[in-house]
Amino acid sequence: MRPFGLRLALWYATIFVVASTVIVFLTYWLTSASLAQRDQQIIQQKIGEYAAAYQRGGIGRLADIVRAEQSTAPERLFVRVVDRGAEAIVLSQPEGWEPSALETASLRLWDGTLVQVGKSTEARQDLLSRFRAALGLVTLSVVIAALAGGFIVTRVALEPVQRLTEAVGRIIRTGRTDERVPLSAETDPLDAIDELTRLFNQMLDKIEGLVTAMRGALDNVSHDLRTPLTRLRGTAEMALAAPPDVDRCRDALADCVEESDRVLVMLNTLMDISEAESGALQLHRGAVRLGEIAARAVELYRDVADAKGLVLSANTSSDLVVMADATRLEQVAANLIDNAVKYTAAGGRVDVEVVGDEGRAVLRVRDTGIGVRADELPHIWNRLFRGDTSRTERGLGLGLSLVKAIVEAHGGTVEVKSEPNRGSVFTVALGAV
Amino acid sequence: MRALVVEDDPTIADFVARGLREAGFAVDHAGDGDAALECTREQTYDVAIVDVMLPKRDGLAVIDEMRRRGSATPVLILSARRSVDDRVKGLQAGGDDYLTKPFAFAELLARVQALLRRATRTPEPTTLTVEDLALDLLSRRVTRDGTPIDLRPREFSLLEYLMRNAGRVVSKTMILSHVWEYSFDPQTNIVDVLVSRLREKIDRPFERKLLQTVRGVGYVLGGHER
Repeated sequence: MRPFGLRLALWYATIFVVASTVIVFLTYWLTSASLAQRDQQIIQQKIGEYAAAYQRGGIGRLADIVRAEQSTAPERLFVRVVDRGAEAIVLSQPEGWEPSALETASLRLWDGTLVQVGKSTEARQDLLSRFRAALGLVTLSVVIAALAGGFIVTRVALEPVQRLTEAVGRIIRTGRTDERVPLSAETDPLDAIDELTRLFNQMLDKIEGLVTAMRGALDNVSHDLRTPLTRLRGTAEMALAAPPDVDRCRDALADCVEESDRVLVMLNTLMDISEAESGALQLHRGAVRLGEIAARAVELYRDVADAKGLVLSANTSSDLVVMADATRLEQVAANLIDNAVKYTAAGGRVDVEVVGDEGRAVLRVRDTGIGVRADELPHIWNRLFRGDTSRTERGLGLGLSLVKAIVEAHGGTVEVKSEPNRGSVFTVALGAV
Repeated sequence: MRALVVEDDPTIADFVARGLREAGFAVDHAGDGDAALECTREQTYDVAIVDVMLPKRDGLAVIDEMRRRGSATPVLILSARRSVDDRVKGLQAGGDDYLTKPFAFAELLARVQALLRRATRTPEPTTLTVEDLALDLLSRRVTRDGTPIDLRPREFSLLEYLMRNAGRVVSKTMILSHVWEYSFDPQTNIVDVLVSRLREKIDRPFERKLLQTVRGVGYVLGGHER
């Protein structure tokens, strides 16, 4: 048992023993006092009787009574009558009396005669000493019971804590997060320790989920980076292996810089997606007007749409406010518009609108582009998925995954409806304030 | 102009130092935090470029110590961490600007120049000129060889940015964050579109082309020998 358990047991025992000792002492003291009081009563009564006899029949009568009592009474008393000349006139003294073990009282009568009666306390002392022995035994067994009980109670009470400690220790030693603290067979919902164990296990579940998600994300990121890194390395290697030529080398170097920029964008985006999906993305939320965000994103693509010969229209005058990370939300809007502009041919339209819908703020991006085949539709949110028709456009295949991850990290939803060669509608819905 | 580069990775330190020297700086290099403090004790620098992760004493501690000694040298922090919190932490430690690794050298140079401008409080010019191209910041008029050129607001803001950095390469990311104030990388060629529209207006009617593309790096306006 840990020092804490030992201390608890000792405290328990000490308090128990102290309380019992107080009770024992009180009992003893009360008993002893009441025995002494009874003896005094007997003596006083006798003195009264003797005084009455003396008054009625003088010293002779008194002596008779004393003598008669000496032979009949169950307990012989010490009696002494002393006259004014300080001479004992009646003396009755049982044999073998110890004067020190006497309870005495005296009464001076009207003519100056002194009546003294004493009662042996031997019987009383005897009784009390046996009582003391009995109490001693009781006290001893109380101490033993208290110590034993203290240890048992503490052990029982601390056992779940002990289990918790051992489980935590194992997890720290082995790094295994699938370890759980066993719950006792019949769990009591009101038991604080059971509650703690349950919460602790829940916390472990949560940590395990996060760790698994992070590991998965790391695996995916390292896998996804291999392809562009291979391209990067290949470009440099080809340039080195070819006969030296400054222009060709400069071309290769420029390719390398562009490729490494792409790797960086990809890494950042993959990290954002993974963090958003695992709940590790820090959102700096504030009150944000969704219409403003959408309008800014539309402005960003205005020139590109013009250059491509598309109509990019915005209906973003809505005042709807959402609690969101403005930068992240701009990323969502920009990615959706980017996607729409990219996959819509010259002469087409892209319409961006912000509307309210049953207490939610909705951002809708509608295009008249190439659309998505029904069998590909469920996959468009997957990282690095690129539909057969979209492969000709340059891009990383991460935009829509990022949109979904960010929107869901904000507690919102994103939906798509699409018809090949007719166009697509992407709808983002967030809780409005 | 004297610059201190505090960076433990020799390759990065080398290309930053070489780039700064080419841009006309005298450059000292320190490979760890203690060496950096040693340098600042002996020399006064016009600008310092400090990496956060350093041996012996990290970059933030170096900046903190410099500020404690009363140094007002503008500091550009380099860091591999890109979260908003890390950026805030760096600026709170006494840094003046924050650049995330990996970075384009063009961007590092532009930020260093901006820090120097801020530190020396160079009076704002009201007219920018590059060869025969002139841009009036007050009337927002642009002329080339005396011929007025009509620019839309974004084209104007791009040209202004390029002219302020005349002769230096400006990356797409830098343009994106200056012209649109977007800090992430949209995947479409937004910048290319704007640049080609600007080029159409300031270069196409003239024989000498001022706006050059530096493949893989960005764009440069005027005076770039290569």
